[in-house]
Amino acid sequence: MSVEVEVDENDLAEMVEQVWESYLDPEGVSPLIPTYDENQPSEVHSSVSITGSWSGHIVYASSRAAAQRAAAAFLAMEQDEVSEEDISDTLGELANIVGGNVKAMLPPGSHLSLPQVSLAPETSARFPNTQRISGVYGLWEGEPVSISMWQSSTDTKEEGA
Amino acid sequence: MKILIADDSRVMRQIVVRTLRQAGFGDHALIEAADGQEAFDKTTAEQPDLVISDWNMPHLTGIEVLRQLRAAGNSVKFGFVTSECTPEMKTAAEASGSAFFIVKPFTAERFDEVFAPILG
Repeated sequence: MSVEVEVDENDLAEMVEQVWESYLDPEGVSPLIPTYDENQPSEVHSSVSITGSWSGHIVYASSRAAAQRAAAAFLAMEQDEVSEEDISDTLGELANIVGGNVKAMLPPGSHLSLPQVSLAPETSARFPNTQRISGVYGLWEGEPVSISMWQSSTDTKEEGA
Repeated sequence: MKILIADDSRVMRQIVVRTLRQAGFGDHALIEAADGQEAFDKTTAEQPDLVISDWNMPHLTGIEVLRQLRAAGNSVKFGFVTSECTPEMKTAAEASGSAFFIVKPFTAERFDEVFAPILG
């Protein structure tokens, strides 16, 4: 049974801000500028699933350039030095960090999965019986980045018999 | 001192290493483990003085590593660096003998606060 989630867009925005402050923009010069556009394009994405007191997915999606920039920031390297593996690992960790922080705000009794990474647009992701309930959408140095929460339906019933 | 950093993300292990250096603990010998089983095996074989472990890892979770180490009589100083931080996780960690709990994202200041008393 899934509870009413108490994590809203402000909470998500605060988590995202902490990630930027700690890892992606420690100098405070390149914040994520909100666009409020939930349909902005992406080229890569990562997700973690939460099951239990609340069930759903946390999805991090961005352009490939933004993912490469994130990996370079995480590793303190130049952007042209990061590998595909670095980009995948960084994307997974970004979903994991936000997902873990979301989980901490939920009622006890939920499980966080290991991250899944796909070097393909978020629109290629398939989360059956879910709906987007919250998200932070923005541009990071002109490149799209989004973090969204997708809640699994609890009222799906077997039809017929 | 020898410090083992256990996290299934190589990128995050590098961030932990860099943050340790930024916090002034770069002179210690650092070794790494890429999952829970490797963390257990390396802690047993290489006898680090401190283990800094992720919680959610393949094969064995961080708390399972800690419990298995304690069950085997290993009393190494052990704590968590994790994105998850629920009251029940903290309670479970403390009950198993965890020395600290650091939440991702973290800063060099947070590392200094936690590790200065341990590493001097």
